[in-house]
Amino acid sequence: MKKHPMLKYLKEEGPLGQRMPLIMCPGCGAGQVLNYTLHAVERVMNEDKIGKENFLFISGVGCSARLTSHYLNFDSAWTIHGRTLAIATGSLLANPAFKIIVFTGDGDTGSIGGNHFIHACRRNIDVTIVCINNGVYGMTGGQVAPTTPVGAITTTTPYGNIEEAFDLCKLAETAGASFVARWTTAHPHQVIKSITKGLRKKGTAFIEILSQCPVHSKSSPVAMLRELKENTIQISKKKESGEGKTLIGEFCDLDKPEWNESYQKLIDQFDHEEGKS
Amino acid sequence: MNKLWIDERYCKGCLICVDVCPTKAIKASKEINDWGYILPTEHDMNSCKACGLCELMCPDFAIAIEEVNG
Repeated sequence: MKKHPMLKYLKEEGPLGQRMPLIMCPGCGAGQVLNYTLHAVERVMNEDKIGKENFLFISGVGCSARLTSHYLNFDSAWTIHGRTLAIATGSLLANPAFKIIVFTGDGDTGSIGGNHFIHACRRNIDVTIVCINNGVYGMTGGQVAPTTPVGAITTTTPYGNIEEAFDLCKLAETAGASFVARWTTAHPHQVIKSITKGLRKKGTAFIEILSQCPVHSKSSPVAMLRELKENTIQISKKKESGEGKTLIGEFCDLDKPEWNESYQKLIDQFDHEEGKS
Repeated sequence: MNKLWIDERYCKGCLICVDVCPTKAIKASKEINDWGYILPTEHDMNSCKACGLCELMCPDFAIAIEEVNG
C-alpha cells in the first residue's frame, strides 16, 4: 500500500500507541496548512541541502498548536499561549542556525500574543510565522476573535459581530516584517511558494493563511473552500473587480538587517576592540 | 492506469479530494469506515494524470496516488 508522501515526516506511532489520525475536525484547514508547510520544508531541505536537525517548530495554544509536537517528526515545542515568538527569540539566540517555523492561530497572534507579535516583527528576528486564520476561537467553542469579519455570527455574537476585523498582514508590514503574504487554504501552490520564500528570507516572514472552520461555520469544507476562492482577489488584479473582497498575495519582500546578525556584529566589534588593547 | 490508495484509518470523509480533482477521477463512495465517514473511491482512473492535487489538499494525509506506467 502506498502512503501519503508527507507521512514520512509525521509520527504515526508514539510511546502511548497510535497517534494518527490528526485530532482536527473533518475538513479543517489546519491539516492542510501542515501538509503545505511540510511540502515547503521538503523543498528547502532538498534544494538548499539543509538537514532535518536545523528545523524547529514552535506553537502556542489553540487548534493550530496541535500541529507540532503531537505529530511532527522534527524538533518541536508546544509552548504557552501567545508567547510562541518570545520562545522563538530565545531559541534563535541559543542557536542562530535554526530555521524556525512558528505555527500560530489568529487568536494566538492577534489578541493573546499581539504584543509579542508586533515586537518580533519590529526586531525582524529570523522566524517564519505561519498564521492559520479561521476567524473564530475554534478550540474553545467558536467565540468571536479579533479577526472575525463584521456581521459574522459566532457563539458570543448571536446577532452578528459589530467589531471591525484585524488585518494582521497590515500590522506585520507596518511593524517592520521583511516578508508578508496572505493566501487561503484553497491556494496550495502559492502557499508552498511563500513559505519556501519565507524560510529562505533572513528576517521575519509572516504568512497568513485564511482557513475554513466547517464546524463553527456550520458549513461543508468543500463549500467553504469555494467561498474562500470567490471572496478573495490577488493584489495584481485588484483594480478589475476587487470591491468587497479580501486581498491576497505577497504584500512586501524587503531586505533589512536581521536582529541576530546585528547583535553578532556588536559582539564582534567589542571582541575586536578587546583584542587590540 | 494510476492507482488510488485511501488510508481508511485516517480519512475523515471531508471529500475535498473529490471536489478538487480536475479530471473527476475520484468520487464519493457508499462505503463508510470504522469512524462512520464516507470514503472516496475510484471513478474514472483512466483520466487521472497524477497531478497530486488530492494529495496536496488532503488535511488528513489519507490519500495517495501511485503512478503506474503504461
